Amino acid sequence: AMAWRAAPRAAARLLLGRRGIASCIDPSTGLTEDQKEFQKVAFDFAAKEMAPYMAEWDEKEIFPVETMRKAAQLGFGGIYVKPDVGGSGLSRLDTSIIFEALSTGCTSTTAYMSIHNMCVWMIDTFGNEEQRRRFCPSLCSMEKFASYCLTEPGSGSDAASLLTSAQRKGDTYVLNGSKAFISGGGDTDVYVVMCRTGGPGPKGISCLVLEKGMPGLSFGKKEKKVGWNSQPTRAVIFEDCVVPVGNRLGAEGQGFSIAMQGLNGGRINIASCSLGAAHASVLLAQEHLTVRKQFGEPLANNQYLQFGLAEMATRLLAARLMVRNAARALQEGRDDAAVLCSMAKLFATDECFGICNQALQMHGGYGYLKDYAVQQFVRDIRVHQILEGTNEVMRMIVARNLLQG
Amino acid sequence: QAIDDDCNQTGQLLAAMLDWPQGTFASRVELEDGAVRVEREVDGGLETLRLRLPAVLTADLRLNEPRYATLPNIMKAKKKPLEVVAAGELGVPASAPRLKVLQVQEPPPRAGGEKVESVESLLGKLRHAGRI
Repeated sequence: AMAWRAAPRAAARLLLGRRGIASCIDPSTGLTEDQKEFQKVAFDFAAKEMAPYMAEWDEKEIFPVETMRKAAQLGFGGIYVKPDVGGSGLSRLDTSIIFEALSTGCTSTTAYMSIHNMCVWMIDTFGNEEQRRRFCPSLCSMEKFASYCLTEPGSGSDAASLLTSAQRKGDTYVLNGSKAFISGGGDTDVYVVMCRTGGPGPKGISCLVLEKGMPGLSFGKKEKKVGWNSQPTRAVIFEDCVVPVGNRLGAEGQGFSIAMQGLNGGRINIASCSLGAAHASVLLAQEHLTVRKQFGEPLANNQYLQFGLAEMATRLLAARLMVRNAARALQEGRDDAAVLCSMAKLFATDECFGICNQALQMHGGYGYLKDYAVQQFVRDIRVHQILEGTNEVMRMIVARNLLQG
Repeated sequence: QAIDDDCNQTGQLLAAMLDWPQGTFASRVELEDGAVRVEREVDGGLETLRLRLPAVLTADLRLNEPRYATLPNIMKAKKKPLEVVAAGELGVPASAPRLKVLQVQEPPPRAGGEKVESVESLLGKLRHAGRI
């Protein structure tokens, strides 16, 4: 609010500053006019509605429901969901650009929004007409929020070994088991759950949509995390939880395939969130180097720090190009899309963490204080190297492509 | 203040023609009973006026915050039809522009200042120039 009330030129500089315009890391280069417009809305929203609050949301562990609903009004609740059920019908590249921009305002909240978007897309893509119309509109508007349940205490990277069972009884499934580390768990309304309806391995897995309030659905304690504090994380517990057969997405045994397809987009989205955090951190470092003086001159006069900033910018641009390349491959339905998404997620999340960490170092002691945003970007994106498939699993996927492909 | 010619005249002219009070460069407007409280952006800061209605107000950039464009609207914008209408079809008599530019000049160059030796000398010079 304050930035807008300031003199127009100063306000413009603040907003432009977030975008890094007229520099080598300008994120709008190579985009179409429409994409530049989407990006502008996302950057403006991030600067005005998210950045002033990201520290408070982190400290007080606030799930910013009203802010996310405002974002949903602009179309950010179902970005790549079809318009006939309330989505914005945009491409994967458009989505990446939007999440990257929003992430400069608050990475943790944007990451949750990307998970929500993936859930709505799953229902939109694999649900039948009745399911699409029942669930998607209220999710696109964020009247209701969604969570994605795949990971269990006993199955993380080895997702296909999940144990949550769904026994068919008449026209219902009865679920028993639990899911771990569920983003939004306990506060969200709709749960997209991968469970075992058949035999062992991936082919025995189906996808069910559950709703909060269903008997037998309960939640564990809220986890205390290093970052991602603007979204609650809880275990999701099923105890003889009865779910109508009409809540199954796709066919029995199709669940794992749905999960894998969802992860392609999810990996691009998480990588995009890392890009935004790194972009913001580079700008923060650039500002600090210009302002902070030691030994009688600004830090920016030191060649070591100049080289450091140059390396950060170069790595950021490389990561951004990897992510956008993967997004294009996915939206074009190319055969190499899945492995490109894995490479992009691996590269971008690793590089961007390094960039944010280096930016923190450049801030000296101030970088360690919670009054300065750079430490929150570091803490928030650390987990991007772990979820949506660990970066070790990403390497497995790429190696398999090279040695077996 | 229009951004093409920066004349800063239309609101003021209208108020004079109607003989209504004016609050220009409004950055905050509050309606009261039969009146309006206007906070204006002036060179020195903010000026608050209370004007009897009806009144003429002109808006400053800081009066409101524009809405965000929504993603669907951005996409629809390109598809909106652009209708071209000839001036004659509107029933507006074609006429020469009603504004005539009489003169355009640079502001006078900044004249050099003068240093004085004493306060009395300063007062004398100011009186002589008709400033006090």
